[in-house]
Amino acid sequence: MPQFDLVANTQLLVSGLAIGSIYALVALGFVLIYNAVGVVNFAQGEFVMFPSYVAATFLLPAVTVFGAVVHWQLPLVAVYLLVIVVMVGFGLLFNRIAYYPLRDRGWLPVVISTIGVSIFLRNAAQLVWGSQPLVIPGLFPVDTVTVGPLHIRPQDLAIIGVTSLLIAFQYVLFERTTLGKQMRATAQDRATARLIGVRVGRIVAITFVYSALLGTISGLLVAPLFTVTKEMGALIALKAFAASIVGGFGSIPGAIVGGLAIGVVETFGGFYISSAYTDAIAFVILIAVLLVKPSGLFGERVAEKA
Amino acid sequence: MTAANSPRARGALAVALLVVVVALVPAFVHSDYVLNLCGVAGIYAIAVMGLGILLGFTGQMSLAQAAFFGIGAYTSGWFTVNLGWPVWPAMGLAVVLSALVGLAVVYPCLRLSGHYLALATIGFGIITQLVLINWKSVTNGSDGMTGIPAPQIGSFAFDTYGRYYYVVLVALLVCAYIAWRIKTTRVGRALEAIRENEIAARATGIDATRYKIIAFVLAGAYAGLAGSLLAHDTKFLSPDSYSFDQSVVFLVMLVVGGSSSIGGAILGAVLLTFLPEVLRPLKTSYIMVYGAAVVVMVIFMPRGLAGLLTVLRARFVRGAPPGSGVAIPVAPGVEPA
Repeated sequence: MPQFDLVANTQLLVSGLAIGSIYALVALGFVLIYNAVGVVNFAQGEFVMFPSYVAATFLLPAVTVFGAVVHWQLPLVAVYLLVIVVMVGFGLLFNRIAYYPLRDRGWLPVVISTIGVSIFLRNAAQLVWGSQPLVIPGLFPVDTVTVGPLHIRPQDLAIIGVTSLLIAFQYVLFERTTLGKQMRATAQDRATARLIGVRVGRIVAITFVYSALLGTISGLLVAPLFTVTKEMGALIALKAFAASIVGGFGSIPGAIVGGLAIGVVETFGGFYISSAYTDAIAFVILIAVLLVKPSGLFGERVAEKA
Repeated sequence: MTAANSPRARGALAVALLVVVVALVPAFVHSDYVLNLCGVAGIYAIAVMGLGILLGFTGQMSLAQAAFFGIGAYTSGWFTVNLGWPVWPAMGLAVVLSALVGLAVVYPCLRLSGHYLALATIGFGIITQLVLINWKSVTNGSDGMTGIPAPQIGSFAFDTYGRYYYVVLVALLVCAYIAWRIKTTRVGRALEAIRENEIAARATGIDATRYKIIAFVLAGAYAGLAGSLLAHDTKFLSPDSYSFDQSVVFLVMLVVGGSSSIGGAILGAVLLTFLPEVLRPLKTSYIMVYGAAVVVMVIFMPRGLAGLLTVLRARFVRGAPPGSGVAIPVAPGVEPA
């Protein structure tokens, strides 16, 4: 029996919570869109990938765009603002192209069109930025800081902090503002929401934009830990999807808890069990949850609702 | 009126003519590249048809079709390369094993439908691919498996693209016939009832659980056969070919073709196998255009290629009833409110 190593385990916990926060943010994006329009967005990963590339273009001193080297480096704050503006437009356009023309056709055509957009975006990214991975700087100049015996990545702490703030913001938005109440009403029952004067089409568009911004923030936070590639969003999105089922699909607290749980279990499992199967852990948890309690940890509706 | 004029006889005649034309392709096409693509398209069509039985007929979503495809391919590869089995029994075993895995996967999934089912099957697909990559003693990991033999009858080996084309064609016809028999008999009507409304189907005495199991097992078996056929075609296996993305490709082929039409499944597979090749002059941007084309097709062809053909037929062929054989919703499952 190996000695229980408090330091190593604390470090694992921090990393696990950080990557779990990313899953939670992306899972929230899934759940909000699902609640608003009844469809799972398979391009959610590209909501993470695309803004990371846009940020990289303006954060790095030299980037290859369409085969030409450009020097468009801007200050960090300016880049973040720019990316947010771009992604608001992106969310509106995505709603208009991938969802709106198919809104009366059931869920499968919408799923296929989000898959089509996802294929398009990944390969558009390769066309524009090439296949070389880009490395973007984090919020801090150093990779790790030493606190007593602990070596902690400050970026991990930033991820956990920003995610907590966002969750608090979202709580206020949904519980205290008219816009949030309209979003909840739309999610609950679109027909009734429309009857009481909610402009459902506009709320749906806002939901897509909000979901795109959640993806943006997770991309900007996680990209410094990995690299920016056209595939970076795909696995994050699948695990976030698993997280939202584990938590109970459609449930906002479920998405957060599910994301954190998968991040932590996966980090510990990768360390103690097998690093080759790290990526399988999320899905093993998922299948176990589906077997034991298909409605998830916080699910209220039955699994047959789909 | 004689029987030869009945719609059914005319349909059979049309199918027979089509089969003859398709069977003559190697006589006129001598490019190995094109013949190989035709073979691959036929193989994909079998896997897509299997998904069609599950999603199109029964309304059960699966994004694990590539996993069964991989299980079939690796079974065939392993038994022929490592144990020296002849190809035909290995193919049979590939079908049986994929069907059995389908049976094992269906049980936990019986309570699920729609997005939940999609998710559970994605999980199964990803785990399968990770096993293919990491179970090196059997699968040889990322290096893949080489030296898979071509099938032969007596001393006649199906070792050219032109010859292998016929192996695929026969398999495709058998699979299409089975799918057609299922669709037009009691089983097919039961599956359709489950797709339209499972609770109502149960209320009328249909054993929905049993029929869902049948649909899953058939989907697994079709994909397993397709995987095995591909293994003996390319003679090389790599775990990359059995990813989540491949499952998505099968799903897109089905929906673009027309999800509950057998001809649609074949058309979708053929079109989307050739589309990237046609787009290849666009170099690096061809997959991007492919993605955009998928969105456009879903928006503008609500019933897929099969539906489009029926509409065209109703417009241009005199006497063809409008909408004959069309009444197929592309989207099984719940409409948004």
